[in-house]
Formats: sequence, C-alpha cells, structure tokens
Amino acid sequence: MAHGFKRTRKGIVGRFEAPEVRLLQKLFSDVGETLEPEAREDGSARNDDPLEALLGWDEDVAEPTDPAVRRLLPAASSDPDQAAEFRRLTDRSLRERKTAALRASSLALESEPVVLSVEQAQDFARSLNDVRLVLASRLNIDSAEAAERVAELTDFGRAEDVEQYMGVVYNFVSWLQETLMNALLKTLPSR
Amino acid sequence: MSTTHRAVPARIPAVLMSSAPAESPVLEREEQAVTAMNVPWNVVVWDDPVNLMSYVVYVFRAHFGYSDAKARKLMLEVHNRGRSIVFTGTLEEAETHVSSLHGYGLWATYEKAGEH
Repeated sequence: MAHGFKRTRKGIVGRFEAPEVRLLQKLFSDVGETLEPEAREDGSARNDDPLEALLGWDEDVAEPTDPAVRRLLPAASSDPDQAAEFRRLTDRSLRERKTAALRASSLALESEPVVLSVEQAQDFARSLNDVRLVLASRLNIDSAEAAERVAELTDFGRAEDVEQYMGVVYNFVSWLQETLMNALLKTLPSR
Repeated sequence: MSTTHRAVPARIPAVLMSSAPAESPVLEREEQAVTAMNVPWNVVVWDDPVNLMSYVVYVFRAHFGYSDAKARKLMLEVHNRGRSIVFTGTLEEAETHVSSLHGYGLWATYEKAGEH
C-alpha cells in the first residue's frame, strides 16, 4: 500500500509499491498520448512550418473532439472568436507543457523512494490532476452526485468491471494528490 | 546564447500579440496602461466536481502569491457560487493567467469586467 507524499527535510518524499509505480506511469503515458495533437480534418498532420513551430502557434486549431482533451484544453472565452484566437496561440505550448510534466513525473517514479523538489512536486501535482480530469471525463463525473457515486469505489478486489476499476484508480490518484497538496501547502509561508 | 533563450517565452500569447513595436516601447507601455484603466479584464475560475479544494488553494497561492485566507475565500466562492473572479488587469495579463491556469488544469476564462 502506498504511503502518500510527506514533506521532509530532504524534499517531498513518497514511497510506492512496484505495481503502483507501474500504474501511475501507465496513466501518465496514456494522458500524454491523449494530448498528442489531433490530425486535421483533411488527414494532414498539424502545421509543421518551422517558424510557426518555433513560435509555438498554428494557423488554425480546431476545438478538440475528445471531451477529455476539451477539459484539459478548455475554451478560454465565451466569445467564440476570442476562444479560437487564444487556442491558436496557446494550444501547442499548453500540450507541450503538460506532456513535459507527465514525462518528468514518470521519470521521478523510477527512484525509490521518490524525492521531489517543490518544482518537481508541482509538475507531479499537475500530472495527477490531468490524470484525474481524463478519468473523470471517461467516468462521466459531471456533478457532485456523480463524484460521490464514484467515491464509494475504493477496493481493487471488488471492482467487477472496467468502469468500477477505473473508479478505484480515480480514487487512488485523488488520495495521492491530496497527500501531495498537503505536503506542498506546507512549503508556502504561513500567512 | 542567452538571447536565444530569451526568445523562447515568445510562446506566451501576450508577448506574441504585442510583437510589432515600431514605436518607442515606453510610449507603448503608457498606451497599455491607459487601455488597462479604461477596460479591465477579469480572469474567472469555474467550478467543477474534479479539482481538489487543496489543489485549487495551492494554485491560487503559488501562482498569484495570494495569502492563505484570500486563496481559501476565492476557492470557496468557486465552490459555492460556481465561479469566482480571481484576477483583474489588462487583457494581456488576463490571457497569460488563463494560459497558466489551464496549465494547472483549472477551468479558467477571461472576460471584460462588468460583462457578466
């Protein structure tokens, strides 16, 4: 059983069993794949103009079709033109920022115990949060009631189908993120 | 080398959008200040059933540098009222904050002050 994260003098430390490490790394890599840019409607790859790639923006970026990705990269404005312009300017860099955090978090799990600096812990928290957003989308957690329904699933041994298993995973990741946030909050000045 | 590195943050939309300063940069800053005073923009964070309260408080504190009390007040406002204005400033500032908050996985939008 995992012990969660704790703030120590060495940094933010977490201890995990091998299956837990494998599970988290699989989740991080799955979310990373989910964040790969979608192909355009005509089937061509995304804009690969080197200058535009360098600047981090694209000619036009459609709203993601996958609801989970739409939650990871939400519309920034209720004004459709403004939201589209914002997406054009930020979509690529946001995807890259998120996948970089996911990769770094996966790598951090290779050490036993896992010892994180504040910056690494922030990346880890972002990654756990993105995993939870994707799982929540797959589990249709769109209300407080739906969240409570899923919160009852805490035993891997009793999960009877894929959805229940996913619910147990969601609760494990939520619990882990909560321990990480409590540790991270302690690094801030008390005021 | 350092110049190349400094070019990288051009990914931030606010930098890209003000990328044609043919005139004196100082003058442009004054114009922006006037615009900001006339039309402030709000950054709004919306409630969702997924983000942990502890996480939202941490993001408000770490990203905006808010006190624990202010961060908790804003988080509870999001939770109880469905949305909260967490920042007011220029359009460029609002866009940058929204991008950062999306990086954290928070559901954030920007709007002209008084539009809601």
